[in-house]
Amino acid sequence: MNAWDELVARCAQRRREKIGPLSDQAFEELLLAVRERPADFVDSPSEQALLELARALDAYRASRQDDDLLDDDAFRAARERRLLALASACDRAVAIDKGCLDARLVALLAREEDPDALLGSLVELEREASVPVPEGGGDAWDDVWCRPRLRLRAAIARTCLDGARHRMARTAAASLLATSPRDELGARHTEMLACARLEDEAGLGELDARFAGHESAWSHLARVILLYKLNRMAAARRALRGFDGLCAGGAYALLRPTFVDVYLPDRPEVAPCSFEECLMAVREAEPIVADTPELIAWCQDQDWFVASARSFAERRDLDW
Amino acid sequence: MAHDPKREDYQRLSLRFALSLDASDANDLPRAFASFGRRFAQDRDSLPQSDADRAFHLVALAAELLDYRLPFVADDDRAAAMARRADALLDEARAIDPTCYDAVRMRLLTSTGSVEERCRLLADGEREVRAFCEAERDRVCAELDGEREMLAAAIAMRPYWRWLSSMAEGALVAGRNREAAELAERLLASDPHDLSDARFTLAYALAKLEDGPGLARLVERYETISPMRPADDAWVLLSQLALAYKDYDLPGARRLLGRLLAAYPTSARSLAHQIEVVGGVFARVRVAPYSEDEMVVALSEGVVLLQEGGAPGGSGALGAWVERAVRELAGPASLGDEGRAARSGEGGAS
Repeated sequence: MNAWDELVARCAQRRREKIGPLSDQAFEELLLAVRERPADFVDSPSEQALLELARALDAYRASRQDDDLLDDDAFRAARERRLLALASACDRAVAIDKGCLDARLVALLAREEDPDALLGSLVELEREASVPVPEGGGDAWDDVWCRPRLRLRAAIARTCLDGARHRMARTAAASLLATSPRDELGARHTEMLACARLEDEAGLGELDARFAGHESAWSHLARVILLYKLNRMAAARRALRGFDGLCAGGAYALLRPTFVDVYLPDRPEVAPCSFEECLMAVREAEPIVADTPELIAWCQDQDWFVASARSFAERRDLDW
Repeated sequence: MAHDPKREDYQRLSLRFALSLDASDANDLPRAFASFGRRFAQDRDSLPQSDADRAFHLVALAAELLDYRLPFVADDDRAAAMARRADALLDEARAIDPTCYDAVRMRLLTSTGSVEERCRLLADGEREVRAFCEAERDRVCAELDGEREMLAAAIAMRPYWRWLSSMAEGALVAGRNREAAELAERLLASDPHDLSDARFTLAYALAKLEDGPGLARLVERYETISPMRPADDAWVLLSQLALAYKDYDLPGARRLLGRLLAAYPTSARSLAHQIEVVGGVFARVRVAPYSEDEMVVALSEGVVLLQEGGAPGGSGALGAWVERAVRELAGPASLGDEGRAARSGEGGAS
């Protein structure tokens, strides 16, 4: 989530509503002015709360920069402190505007409850949320006021996946795809993993076809998992080759799972099929992989896959 | 119903004995029948039997060791010795009768650690086992009639049913739920009275696939598949409970947990602790319906549902919920000791 961009867009739109119709050029200039000093344009509790959240997210991200220098215990302690600080900052934002859905969402995610409790809170939050998502026509993402609802729905879909509620994850992700067909939040990734877990080949095929040309670490990994589960081993091997060939460091990510921090509130932006994307896909697929107990052992039996992972580790100077 | 190796051993020899009497003097029949029980127990070798019967007897002995005694042996050395003894019995059975597919399958299960490998080996042999068993069934059906024909036909097919059963259970553990469901359906088609209780495995596979309509259809089929036992066994109730939980219908899941506790009144503790026992090698172990033992067997197979998802390193989303909900519903008195016993055993989801 780029909270600053959304804050700028919201402040500029509010200002335009106040001062009346503006030409496109005039609105562009207004946007530039707001971007320069967003805080000066904040004149309602809802933007004030968003400003607090933007600052809190900046502080949270800045505090992560020295993580590499810490040992495990120090890292755990630092992480706990910064999540707590973020949750408190979100609470302050919510105190300014109870309707600041993003702040409430981040606060819930930062508290890292188990998936059951988290889902309960998220569903409750969605029930309370007052901004309706428009149905049909266009992409709800284009309305900056709708985005918090979309992020909440995406978080619900991912939480369902973590809690082994795969049909619910699909339903939530599919509803997001219906209201936001461009899928800026990557709900399709969650749905693809759910399809793989439910061994729904047709479902995964439809998503693949719909987003052809936009393959991702999720789509490649989902294909591997699905074919393995369907016991079509020759095809599964080909899919594993595809995952390895098209996703940088995919083999390493799968064989050496790395800690991926909680999304606050959504996935960080990374290049498609990059190593960073592979790490996220593997993290999100983790419960599904664990439910397929010999999938990783089978991957390890493919010498070329292990060799690829090892050579990636050597190139990147990663532990092997 | 469940497969009973001792009973099957008895059935095989009594059938052969009855057939051998057909040729003898009718006046001797009552005396001969009266002597069968004693000879079966004390002087087995004096009874007529084929190599297949002899091999199956060894299978029954191995099954007794592996499925009914080994799980209760705490001492590692004694357990290892017992497992070696069972393997030797199975090897001997195969030597006497190379088409003793129970011995082939059980040996395969005891010697292969990887589920993937087991599934592959079982799949490789499936066609041969089916062809053999069906040919054997056709042969006895041509020779016999009436009750003898039915019994002989069932005895001929059982090794194949157990083979398919092992395949379905392996597929479920491997996370191949669609395959598990298909195998269970094939088993039901071949064994319509469901001696193997394939419907239990099918219920879990459908729950894993979150196929609510499929599970509802299975419940409707109970009347035909299992007229003597309604759809209130631990497998089907736990499957329905899992589906309600997965739909985030927690009141519904709680109601189903209540039904489970009502059907298995002595099982609150097992439900809370969810201790895992290793599955039977010959077949699913025989336990009394609605007993705590049956609950333990159902929960052990149910780790695929109970231990999936949830907090990292935790006990699975559904498992943790069931544990909490049982404590609330049943109260501490029916749970016995406090705290949760360590999980043991292998396989299943983490």
